[in-house]
Amino acid sequence: MFSGWNWVAYGLYILLNFCSLEVSGGLVQSCGHIIPESPVLALGSNFTALCILNESCLDFGNIYANQIIWKIKNRVVPKEQYREINRTVSSVTFNDTSSLATPLTCNILADGQIEQNIYGIAVTIGLPPEKPKNLSCIVHQVLKLTYPMTCTWNPGRHTFLDTHFRLKYRWPQENFPDCIPKDVNNSCTIPDVQFFVNLEVWVEAANALGKAESDPLVLDPIEIVKPLPPHNLSVNSGILPTVLKISWENRISGSVMKLKFNIRYRTIGDTNWMQVPPEDTASPRTSFSVQGLRPYTEYVFSIRCMKEDGVGYWSDWSEEKTGVTTEDKPSKGPSVWRIIDASHSPAFWTVRLMWKALEPFEANGIILQYEVTVRAKSSLSGPPEKYNVNTTNLILKLPNGTYEVTLIAHNRVGASPPSVLLIPATNSKAPVKNVRTLPKDGKLWVGWTAPNSYVLKYVIEWCLVSNSSDCIIEWQNEPGNVQGTYLKGDIKPFKCYLITVYSLYADGQGSGQSVKAYLQQDRPSKGPTVQTKKVGKAEAVLTWNHLTVDEQNGFIRSYTIFYKTVDGNETAVTVDPSKTEYTLSSLTSDTLYTVRMMAYTDEGGRSGPDFTFTTQKFGKGEIEAIVVPVCLAFLLIVLLGVLFCFNKRDLIKKHIWPIVPDPSKSNIAQWSPQVPAKHNFSSKDQMYPEGSFTDVSVVEIEADDKKSFSEQDLKPFDLLKKEKSTSEGHSSGIGGSSCMSSPRQSVSDSDEGETTQNTSSTVQYSTVVLNGYRDQTPVQVFSRSESTQPLLDSEERSEDHSGGGDSTSQRQQYFKQNGGQDETNTDRPCFERTKQITPANEGDLVGFAQLQISGQSSQLLGLGLEKNTQEAALPDVLQRSIEGQTVRPDKVEGNPPSADEMPKSYLPQTVRQGGYMPQ
Amino acid sequence: MAAADSPSAALRRRDLCSRGIRLAGKMRSDVVDLLDTYVERQGLDASASVAAVEGVPAAAVERWDEQTGTQRLLENLAAYRAFRVLLSQMLEEHREQLGEADAALGRALASVLLQVSAFAYHLEELLRLESRGPPSEEGAPPPPAPHLGLFERKLRGLGVLRELAQWAVRSTRDLRQLTKPSLGSGLAPSRAESP
Repeated sequence: MFSGWNWVAYGLYILLNFCSLEVSGGLVQSCGHIIPESPVLALGSNFTALCILNESCLDFGNIYANQIIWKIKNRVVPKEQYREINRTVSSVTFNDTSSLATPLTCNILADGQIEQNIYGIAVTIGLPPEKPKNLSCIVHQVLKLTYPMTCTWNPGRHTFLDTHFRLKYRWPQENFPDCIPKDVNNSCTIPDVQFFVNLEVWVEAANALGKAESDPLVLDPIEIVKPLPPHNLSVNSGILPTVLKISWENRISGSVMKLKFNIRYRTIGDTNWMQVPPEDTASPRTSFSVQGLRPYTEYVFSIRCMKEDGVGYWSDWSEEKTGVTTEDKPSKGPSVWRIIDASHSPAFWTVRLMWKALEPFEANGIILQYEVTVRAKSSLSGPPEKYNVNTTNLILKLPNGTYEVTLIAHNRVGASPPSVLLIPATNSKAPVKNVRTLPKDGKLWVGWTAPNSYVLKYVIEWCLVSNSSDCIIEWQNEPGNVQGTYLKGDIKPFKCYLITVYSLYADGQGSGQSVKAYLQQDRPSKGPTVQTKKVGKAEAVLTWNHLTVDEQNGFIRSYTIFYKTVDGNETAVTVDPSKTEYTLSSLTSDTLYTVRMMAYTDEGGRSGPDFTFTTQKFGKGEIEAIVVPVCLAFLLIVLLGVLFCFNKRDLIKKHIWPIVPDPSKSNIAQWSPQVPAKHNFSSKDQMYPEGSFTDVSVVEIEADDKKSFSEQDLKPFDLLKKEKSTSEGHSSGIGGSSCMSSPRQSVSDSDEGETTQNTSSTVQYSTVVLNGYRDQTPVQVFSRSESTQPLLDSEERSEDHSGGGDSTSQRQQYFKQNGGQDETNTDRPCFERTKQITPANEGDLVGFAQLQISGQSSQLLGLGLEKNTQEAALPDVLQRSIEGQTVRPDKVEGNPPSADEMPKSYLPQTVRQGGYMPQ
Repeated sequence: MAAADSPSAALRRRDLCSRGIRLAGKMRSDVVDLLDTYVERQGLDASASVAAVEGVPAAAVERWDEQTGTQRLLENLAAYRAFRVLLSQMLEEHREQLGEADAALGRALASVLLQVSAFAYHLEELLRLESRGPPSEEGAPPPPAPHLGLFERKLRGLGVLRELAQWAVRSTRDLRQLTKPSLGSGLAPSRAESP
């Protein structure tokens, strides 16, 4: 918007300006002009300008001086600064030209208040030049006969104007052309100057506002010369190994200037210069012999010069030139040390002698060879052995003992003083104490506490401890009066060094004292890899390996174990760095844990990989506490089942593999009543004499039949039942089960059980020889044939004789035949039998007891209750049997009858044979 | 004489002598170098014999040791004023002949000319210290440049430079003679000194 108005105003201005002009003689003539025209004004001065209107314009446009408006650029100058001198002249005054700017215009306010420009001037504002200061000149020698002089000065403040500087110079009687600077305003170079005549030099600065001159400088150019440095240096070695002669050429004539010199020198590789004393080179010369140099050393020389009286400037240093001094014999013997290896043989050492090559300033030349002399110190030792070697070590096999090693270095000029090393048999002298290290200034400082006795010198051994390389020993000597030194070697940061300090005496040596050190530590390269050794319900045993030396990067100060569950906070445990195992406790069972481990040095730690483990659901012994009882219970159940099955084997056998008698193999035909007589039961006969054994009747009662017995019938048995309940129970488990069996079955079963207890007078109904059925061992037993087939005649007759039609009658007949006592008892055979046992004599009881014991022994897994009841019952029986007879049950068992005497089939036999034969 | 007796005047005189000696030495050195250059550039034979240059006092003089200091200074001043004119002529001729083609020789001539002027200034100053003042140059107008051929001009230039070299040596001796404390201004030099 503002710009648009400006353009409008500018267009109007042009139009009015055009209208204000009149054409005269073909030239455009202004209606007025300003005096002065384009002035150059000093900044800060006052200034007055006049605007003079042409007379011709007065009539043309009724323009007068009182209508003049002064403007600076587009800014109107305040009217207070105007002054109307007459009707055609107006002046404007500025007290300070700093408010001025270009252009300054004279304008007129014409009719209609239209502003019309009459004239304008450009105003240049600046400052007059200041007096140049600090004029100084120097004459540079650029060629042998060319001496340009360069003068510099301070031109002063900026003048804002075009200011010209001129360097003016003259002799008193002669002027020279000015030196005009090019492109600069503060220096100028006069191409050539003449010496020995005073030259007056000054600077003149001039611009539109004035002129200024510096103070003149009067000088003889010879006093400000910076000569060219000497050239063509040459360095020659002299006769002496410590002297070099330097020669050069000066490039300024002695007639012009007498010179003095500075000579500097240094050894190759050194950056610090040494300087020949200036007073030695304060006179003109072209050569100098530098003394006090080291033999066989390459030196670099450089030289400069200046006017002898010191007036002027030093030249630049000349080009460098090198020279080598001649050789001299070595100034000292090499430092020697040893490594003793006694591991191969206790009686012999492998001694590795090693020495340091002499430094160049000690060798004073090229070492051609080393002469090693080994002298045993024992009284019986032979002459010393000498070795000439070119290397810096020598391996010897020596018997244990004390040796003195002497080492001499030879160069072309001569031999060094000998170095002596005493190798004692044992390091029995006082060692150093309190070996310590300290990194300092990028080096590793080793300190120790000296022993009380005088120490000749110390040897500091060190080597880099690493898994990847052997410990290569480096060493250095230190004098006996120090208690600390820097290791002189390439000590690397983050590496472990094993440092050992030995104290050497004139007559022995102290044992080495070692310490490990790092020049600089860092975090470990990796963290320990942790894993579980054992995980329990609430604890886990963590194990890890120590970091290798190369991985440690510093002294491991501690380990920290971090562990957490999946969603839990991390727990940290700090562990001693010597440990490789740690037990985390108070863990949650059956929980996944993540564990990691950090190893810390002084500089920080680094974590190893994460390891996860899950705690167990059950603690130690909990599973056993559950499983064992379960197993035991299971076993017990199984056992009970087995026992049950065993007890019910007959029933099971009957259902699973019933015994089917084979008539063809029936032995009934061979049966003879004398068979029992064959058995020699003399003793038994004695024990159970014919007729003495009360016939036992077995009465089988069907469960349903029990009801058929009246209470009265049962009463007489109550007492006995109470007394023999265990016996009955036992009997029912063995043979007595026949009572509970079916009548038919019980005949066969009870037949055996009861008949075996009967005397030989018991009629054996039949003998059945069984072949092994399936895996059953065939046992020859007596049994009644249960075949339904017609029996043999004798049998049939016997059966017929018995007259029994049904089984019951048969059984009754059978028991009657056996017992032959009371046929009335056939209605209740079991009770009858029991009842008849009661009056049995003591010998019968013994046999019964014997049976009980045997049966007990065969029933290994009998119920405790049964056993107890048996035991409770047995003493009662035994008590009575002992009272009557001396026969002891164990004696019966301990004196079994001989094979000839063994009955073919009888229960006691089978009992003796260790097995209970149910048949 | 009063000025000559003052300590500052003595120091000034001594300084002028000292620097004059060194200027003469440098001038001789430069002239010798210039002679070599001149002979080479002008195609002359270094062993060419040249007749004495007209207007230049001979450097060789009999009874040199009998001269007074002022006398020495006056003879030197006359000689160097003559050399100044001659060298200016040579320089002009050189510029006319070669323009800027042989700027080195021209610069060397200009340099020697400046030194001659400087030495003349020294002599004038010494004469002023002798309370005598230098004779005006108008009294001894420079000889007009003879119309000579090119070769003759070269030979003449060679002669000027040779004579200047000799004068440089003599001037050195003269000034040294002046610096001796036994020698006051205008006093007869000791006979022991001879050029």
